[in-house]
Amino acid sequence: MEGIAVRSSVFPIEWGALAPLRLRARTIAEGVYAGPHRSVRKGSGVEFGGQRSYVPGDDLRFIDRRSLLRHDKLMVREFETETDRALWLCVDATASMAYKSDAAPGAKYAYAALISAALARVALATGDPVGLGFIGGDGVHPLTASAGREAFDRVVGSLESARAAGDASADPGTVERAVAPIMKKARRGSVIVLLSDLLDLPARARLDLLPLGTGGRTLVVLQVLDPAEVDLTFSGSVRLRSFEGDVVVEADVDEVRAAYKERLAALTAGWTKDIEGRGGRLVRASTKDDATTVTRAVLRAIAEART
Amino acid sequence: MNFFASAALLVAVLVAAPLAAHLLRRRRAEEKRFPAAALVPATPPTARRRSSLEDRFLFSVRALSVIALAVLGATPFVQCNRLSLARQGGASVALAIVLDDSLSMRAKMRDAAGPTRFERAKSGAAELLRGLQNGDAVAIVLAGAPARVLLAASTDLAGVSAAIDSIEPSDRATDLDTALRLGTDLLKGLPQIDKRVVLLSDLADGDPSAAPLAGTNDAALWAPLPEIEARSEPDCAVVRAERAGASVRVRVTCTPVLSVAPMPRASGSASADPAASAAPRSPGDALNTPPGDGPSAGRSVQVRSADRLLRAFPLGPAVRNEEVTLELPQDAPESITVRLTGTDAIAEDDTAPVSALGAKLKVALVVDTAATHIETGGASPVEQALAALALDAETHPLATVPDHAEELTRYGALLVDDAPGFTPEVRRAVASWVEKGGVLLLTLGPKAAAAPLGAGFDPLVPGVVRWGATASPGIDAASFAILGSSATTLEDMAPRGRSSLEAEALQNADILAKWKDGAPFLVRRSLGRGAVLALTLPLTTSESDLAFRPAFLALLDRFVRIARARGGSPRVDAGDAWTFDGAKTVTVFREGASGPASRVKIPVIEADRRMKATPGVAGVYDVAIDGEHEVRVATVPEREIDLRPRPLVQNARDARLGGAAGAVDVSAYVALALLFLATAELAMRARAKVQDARPTET
Repeated sequence: MEGIAVRSSVFPIEWGALAPLRLRARTIAEGVYAGPHRSVRKGSGVEFGGQRSYVPGDDLRFIDRRSLLRHDKLMVREFETETDRALWLCVDATASMAYKSDAAPGAKYAYAALISAALARVALATGDPVGLGFIGGDGVHPLTASAGREAFDRVVGSLESARAAGDASADPGTVERAVAPIMKKARRGSVIVLLSDLLDLPARARLDLLPLGTGGRTLVVLQVLDPAEVDLTFSGSVRLRSFEGDVVVEADVDEVRAAYKERLAALTAGWTKDIEGRGGRLVRASTKDDATTVTRAVLRAIAEART
Repeated sequence: MNFFASAALLVAVLVAAPLAAHLLRRRRAEEKRFPAAALVPATPPTARRRSSLEDRFLFSVRALSVIALAVLGATPFVQCNRLSLARQGGASVALAIVLDDSLSMRAKMRDAAGPTRFERAKSGAAELLRGLQNGDAVAIVLAGAPARVLLAASTDLAGVSAAIDSIEPSDRATDLDTALRLGTDLLKGLPQIDKRVVLLSDLADGDPSAAPLAGTNDAALWAPLPEIEARSEPDCAVVRAERAGASVRVRVTCTPVLSVAPMPRASGSASADPAASAAPRSPGDALNTPPGDGPSAGRSVQVRSADRLLRAFPLGPAVRNEEVTLELPQDAPESITVRLTGTDAIAEDDTAPVSALGAKLKVALVVDTAATHIETGGASPVEQALAALALDAETHPLATVPDHAEELTRYGALLVDDAPGFTPEVRRAVASWVEKGGVLLLTLGPKAAAAPLGAGFDPLVPGVVRWGATASPGIDAASFAILGSSATTLEDMAPRGRSSLEAEALQNADILAKWKDGAPFLVRRSLGRGAVLALTLPLTTSESDLAFRPAFLALLDRFVRIARARGGSPRVDAGDAWTFDGAKTVTVFREGASGPASRVKIPVIEADRRMKATPGVAGVYDVAIDGEHEVRVATVPEREIDLRPRPLVQNARDARLGGAAGAVDVSAYVALALLFLATAELAMRARAKVQDARPTET
């Protein structure tokens, strides 16, 4: 994408070495299988799961009266139950996700789609429904959470048909429009994985995205960056134009590389702090990273966020 | 180069403009798309790096375009260093290219590594040919003696080019007069108005004091290559090397010097040739060596067998003609060569193989000294002329013509001046001798016409010889081509009378020269292997002054040459033909230096009912006549060892005829190159635009 004169805000996706998405996602999913995910949610169910102290708001039906009479202490009985927990994938498809440097195997969107498909494969294999949403993008087809054999194909088809488009910085409502359906449909206990570069997002994007980690939902953010974005691999004097926001910067890269890395680290740290403050996790990945490893890291982050 | 051409070429200085533009252009930094651009701190503009010379190919195209534009502006003033002719109004031309293939053309033009004059003349002919157009006619004449037509006038330029390519250098003498006359004759009758004889020669024909070479009214003479003109360079040559028993007789000839230094006397015996003192030394003899320090200074004659030096003899500093006899050691091998030490203008003539030959050509003279004598005494004019010519022939005055063939066998040539007929015995003896290869020069005067009853010249000259007053004094020089330029000295001859021959005598005879009224002056009749030359004028000084004219010397020279060739002389000058009358099969090979593999076959042609072979290169030849092999030798002509140029008429080098710096319009080629460069730049620009636009749109 270097040296491109942009005429349109819609970009085709360079899949590069990440295609074909369907096969590669299956391969990755098979590499991270650890057996069916057993629900650890405690609440109403059939198998006793233990007691805990009462907190206001608990269902009064589960107050352990024997314990109250015996110990004069309000305790609540909990039960384990196997539940279908939806996995919601929210993929950033704004213009910046179409970026691919010479060193990258594919565009950032392609990498995010690959990880998304792999996660969907894992979730569907355990019977959990998978939903799909997009931030920005062109030709996108959001999917409601569904399980079953054909769900994977629908997810992959929707990911493949999307093209990067949209300037989130210029349209503050982009993120809100993407998050609202997920917020509405994702119930308590569901897992939301946001795949984005977290760049070029408007200032209020955090306010729109962070609520995804509330209400019993688990939010895991995978920050997908291009190797050039990680290390600022240009050299000499260059004129850099952003994909979104029409930011133009002319700089001697060798001179500003360290400052750039500091700014990028600060950006990531800010997001990490906010996400982890709501029980979520942030995983950072480069498109050069092994997709299987990254998928496993995301699953691990999900598990950590739930404990 | 005139002012306009210089000014146009100054445009080429503008080539610095694109260079400066590429070097000094402070272009904007290359723009790149980058999502995280907002995180990159901007650098102040002062930190931008000045762009270096980029896109070198585009810069090269632009620079070449500027240069091509400058050259295009300078044309047609740009001139090409190629021999070309100037046309009169663009009309077609008819050229007779006279290319000198004589020995002197083997000399180098500038240095030892440079081309020879012959090579330059040949390349000049090829350059001239490339400038010709359809409709031009070209004939080719070779000026090596005897001058000969290589190609009659032809408009097939490809054929002419092939003919030029086939020309090889030779060791012949030079015959410019005949060559020019042949060239002029070849142009006669051609429809082209502009006719020229192009002379590509060093002009060294051994006769520097002769009249300047000139063209005719019909065909202008053009000598376009002054750089190949001979400059009296020093040169020595081994013209003959013969082995007689245990000794070798070597004849060395050098280019003339102004003064002669005393000859050194060493182990060998040397005798200065009388002709050396008779060599012309006019004040006009331009030499490039100081007096007394000629081309032979510091050089010596060496007799060698492969790498073994058998004998050596130092030459004097100012040798013209010198004959050296060297005694060979007893164990001397059969195959030996003679070589001159040192270097000179022509290296090829410094070495000669030694041939085992017999004695000199013996010429018998039957001259009435009472009628033909010089008042101041001495030998007869014929004897003195033969001695002065240094033809390597022994003269033997005889009182009468022998009437036994055996007495004549020791002679190769016989000159009989105005004999009162031959008796039958003499006729029979002479005819038998001629048939075996003898050459008879028979001058016919009043005595021959008054032959007594029973005497005559049949079958040598059939019919009756009559003497009478001549109504047409002088000889038609044009008909006497074999004598070259000296034939003109007979044009104003006014004898008291002349002989006439009957038609019977002219049957199967060649008329070599005519009187101005067409009557035969010199007739050649072939008889067996020999020939009879019948001259219709006696040598008697009371009848004519023929014997005192230069043409007489040329006639005697020709007579001796014919005698050598007819008599099967094992040694002839390169260019002279061997005649094989009566032979059925003849093969001739020139022996090479590296054995049988390098033998060169010489073509044997049949002309005038006689088989002939002409050795053009000096060397040893293997001649097989009807299966019998004999060794013959072709030697370097002595008269060719004179590198003084013959004068030319002034307008022969006129620039209006053309020259080596002829203007050649190359603007079409330059324009094509410019067009190509412009197209290349446009293509590169278009390609760059396509590359910039390709990845963006959907």
